[in-house]
Amino acid sequence: MERQSDDWEQLLTAANAGDSRAYTRFLHAVSPVLRGVIRAKSGGLGEASCEDVMQEVLLAIHLKRHTWKAGSPVRPWLYAITRYKVIDAFRARGRRIDLPIEDFVDSLAAEPGPDPTEAADMAKMIGMLEGRSAEIVRKIGMEGASFAETGKALDMTEGAVRVALHRALKNLAALRERHVK
Amino acid sequence: MKTEDLIRALAADTQDTRPMMSRLLMGLVPAMLVSLAALWVVLGFRADLAEALRMPDSVARFVLTGALGLLGARLALVLARPEGRDAARLWPLLAVVAAAVALLGWAYVTTPAEGLQMAVVGKTRTTCLVTIPLLSVLPVSAIMWALRQGATTVPALAGFVAGLGGSGLSAAIYALHCTEDTPLFYVPWYGLAILGVTLVSTVVGARLLRW
Repeated sequence: MERQSDDWEQLLTAANAGDSRAYTRFLHAVSPVLRGVIRAKSGGLGEASCEDVMQEVLLAIHLKRHTWKAGSPVRPWLYAITRYKVIDAFRARGRRIDLPIEDFVDSLAAEPGPDPTEAADMAKMIGMLEGRSAEIVRKIGMEGASFAETGKALDMTEGAVRVALHRALKNLAALRERHVK
Repeated sequence: MKTEDLIRALAADTQDTRPMMSRLLMGLVPAMLVSLAALWVVLGFRADLAEALRMPDSVARFVLTGALGLLGARLALVLARPEGRDAARLWPLLAVVAAAVALLGWAYVTTPAEGLQMAVVGKTRTTCLVTIPLLSVLPVSAIMWALRQGATTVPALAGFVAGLGGSGLSAAIYALHCTEDTPLFYVPWYGLAILGVTLVSTVVGARLLRW
């Protein structure tokens, strides 16, 4: 347990310094834990909806990753973001839940393995993005295209694609926020 | 969309990981410089500034307002972290307020009775109550802007410290102009101006700082 947490700090430090591979490993490492907590709290919400919540949380973690203070423990930070977003997401789905931090410690990580379900909300939100932004997110996310390939396909420079991807992810979070209200 | 695909998109995005401290300073430093320049151009610094900096009562004004400002800005950085609500210590703010009240009490008992009313009312009350909030607009907005990029889990409290920090720093700037050196004047009137800005900022923060 100690050892694993130690790794999270190293991974996130590298991620915030721009290491994509370390960041991928970080997101893979935390996902089962978050999924476990969300499912434990879902009370029959269904696997697909849980995965929607899960993706909202991941997007929030991504857009707020600079609020982690290098050198401090990752877990309290991660749990605080997750708690805030999960309560929010369940409220948006008409459910009030309590999520004390102890629940994170007690909850078992969900079974590792391939993605259990296809979540619907994020795809819907991507559909609401402006055409080119949506295309960039789909190419890089679903097709696994590189910045260079994406840029070539859309007649953009690599740098422009990078900026556009970042903006698209921010817009996704904003769209979601507007939909809840 | 599969979570796997989302993670791939997220991991590809390596933009914008500057730490919170640099985000705060990037807004707050220019904001304070503009406030300082505005005060200098419109009202000017007091002519006897160098002498005033040798008078304990006058210096205390810079120390008290500056302390509120720096503590507020520092707390904003703590509260910008999602887990910051557990780490934030508010008692230093109370210590500053207690020191101000103590100073006020001391001035009250040491000022001759016939001079009390004049000292409290002062001559520049209105200027003070108008100028401090005006000077606060940019610094408070700068802290708020940084907090919006943060991940506070206590929006109202974060708005509160943003207001206190920004208006405290602005009051310290205003003190470069103001010649009312007695705590009988500046504790209540500066205090009222700071309180007003902080209340507005708390309400704004509660709405603006959710994410």
